[in-house]
Amino acid sequence: MQRDVASFAFAPAVKVRLISAGFLTAKDIRDLRPTELSKEAGISQQEALEVLQEVRRGPAEQGAAESRLTALELLEREQALCTVITFCSALDQALGGGVPMGKTTEICGAPGVGKTQLCIQLAVDAQIPGCFGGMGGQAVYIDTEGSFLVERAVDVATAAVQHCTLITKDTEQREALQSFTVETVLSQLFLFRCHDYVELLAQTHLLPDFLSQHPKVRLVVIDSIAFPFRHSFEDLSLRTRLLNGLAQQLIQIASQHSVAVVLTNQMTTRIGQNQSMLVPALGESWGHAATQRLILHWEGKHRFASLYKSPSQREATVPYQITPLGFRDVQLPDPSVTPADPSPTPGRYSRKRPRGEEGDPSDA
Amino acid sequence: MDWDQVELNPKVVHAVKRANVKTFREVLSLSGPDLQRLTKLSHADVHHLQKTVAAAVQTDPAVTALQLYRGECPFLEQHQKLSLGCPVMDSLLRGGIPLLGILEIAGESSAGKTQICMQLCLSVQYPRKYGGLEAGAVYICTEDTFPTKRLQQLSSLQHKLRPEVPADVVKSITFCDNIYIEHAGDVDSLNSCISKRVPILLSRGLVRLVVVDSIAALFRCEFEAKDALLRAKHLLAFGATLHSLSHRFKTPIVCVNQVADAVGDSDLAQSNFGLLDKKVLPTLGITWSNQLLIRLMVSRTRFSLQERLPGLAAQPWHLGSVLRTMEVVFAPHLPQSFCYYTVSIDGVRGVKEEPAS
Repeated sequence: MQRDVASFAFAPAVKVRLISAGFLTAKDIRDLRPTELSKEAGISQQEALEVLQEVRRGPAEQGAAESRLTALELLEREQALCTVITFCSALDQALGGGVPMGKTTEICGAPGVGKTQLCIQLAVDAQIPGCFGGMGGQAVYIDTEGSFLVERAVDVATAAVQHCTLITKDTEQREALQSFTVETVLSQLFLFRCHDYVELLAQTHLLPDFLSQHPKVRLVVIDSIAFPFRHSFEDLSLRTRLLNGLAQQLIQIASQHSVAVVLTNQMTTRIGQNQSMLVPALGESWGHAATQRLILHWEGKHRFASLYKSPSQREATVPYQITPLGFRDVQLPDPSVTPADPSPTPGRYSRKRPRGEEGDPSDA
Repeated sequence: MDWDQVELNPKVVHAVKRANVKTFREVLSLSGPDLQRLTKLSHADVHHLQKTVAAAVQTDPAVTALQLYRGECPFLEQHQKLSLGCPVMDSLLRGGIPLLGILEIAGESSAGKTQICMQLCLSVQYPRKYGGLEAGAVYICTEDTFPTKRLQQLSSLQHKLRPEVPADVVKSITFCDNIYIEHAGDVDSLNSCISKRVPILLSRGLVRLVVVDSIAALFRCEFEAKDALLRAKHLLAFGATLHSLSHRFKTPIVCVNQVADAVGDSDLAQSNFGLLDKKVLPTLGITWSNQLLIRLMVSRTRFSLQERLPGLAAQPWHLGSVLRTMEVVFAPHLPQSFCYYTVSIDGVRGVKEEPAS
């Protein structure tokens, strides 16, 4: 009743005219007729009509401003949100269970270190049924680089289904397994392909509607967000503005639709004092955009994932490996066998690649 | 921008035109409040405008991975692959080269990169059931002149390299006629070639493969060490042009790169280079590596086949030539792996590693 005129969603010019004509709260406007309002405030008849319609709508129909929440309620809400596991138990532990829903997580890394592999693994893991510890949801994969190759998704899905088949214990799990096959996993993975930043912006505008039509989606992956923004920008401030807007939209999507948003970023070199370092691309201000940041990197021949920024978890670095089955833990090797010994010796024909021991996927 | 394409209230279209917002790109690049301020429309109108424009820009519908797997998406063809002309190398790549994306072949000189590229130019001309794409190739040379004699030798011996293809099919293809050779001496001429001449050939369906041999030569000599940012800008633009070509015409792009010595441990620590121990890194840095779909590294060993794999029953074409390695450094769908190959008179063949009976 006493709602401020400024808090309504009118065009700014109309708002300014209303306020300068003296209409400060909704009560002032309610009882006027359109012609009176338009004469008093100096706005057109059409605009006056729209203003009155908006003001007269009951509070329940107006875009509901979020009611107030206490911190305890927020905590309970957060704890009720699940996480998407990564199948690498060390990484899941570092992340506090997995990639969280309702937040944006950024994965940075050099080419070939495993960003797309992790994204495909997450897209499959989001679909693991609830009785196996997953969320039983669907996944959206927005590909800007063209690195989503469906045969790899088939490999990862087959391994996940097989893993669940092996750990099935009771009838509930057996029933859930009926609907968790490679084909259903593939059919619930929605793929969008964006070729430049305009298409990516367009896709982000269309995403809320898509998520409303597909309420079972629990994960949105954008692989990668750096690629379309790194060329064809003469004006870097425009790029920063667009990226910030995009980040805001994604955070809003993540919290409103309770999905986990995962973004992939590239690395670039920065010349320091005497040496060059690899840093995440897209600039310093982009570093603030995502809620959590994970950096994947090499050390020698081993791969490590570092949780670089997180509001709730400690910084940690864990090893991982990419196997034909997907993203997995590194199993600590026998002391008698050196890990991942790659140098081919004459006579070893059968294995082209030293098959790392299969990681121990989290038995969630 | 065609405002007739989108279904909008004429009042909204009028307001947008009056605000001098001409393209769809501008509509999407401006934030909601900015658009409201410029067009004096209400929040709901602006929201609807942006969603309608977004739907006009993103016309491809959502596909599921299952539809992609079954080959039901014409605009994202992932089943067809380009064969390299040798079953061993094809199985290293799980079928061949994907049609969308850039593949890089990096290696030191005389490792066999040009030989592999020439073999690709020939194998693209075969019918689809033999792993080709039924069209020719564009070969952009930036270093030496194109080895035409060697190409003629290879095309005359195709029937020996590809015994699984019926002889009349091989005879019916005029290999040399379908390979278009371009020379580019500097970055500008390379860019004009890629943006003007190559699209014409692609749009006429005459070629379905673009080979750039090599990209390193131009970018390394035209830009000095202090011009790193400028070089990065050009590389990014170049990569973007190649990507858009690849996607518009469903054409694989193969780029040849040189290698340089790895200085100190820090270089190698930043980027792992596969299984085999190496002292060399591909050039052009991480800017270029970020644009690639697949990176292969080839190198020449010091051994011949009999010395390295003595237990193997050597096929006649491998005898007498130096053994080389082809390694997958990274690819989204391949594990790190390698195979041996040799270069003989009729082409490049991988070594099948089965123990001698």
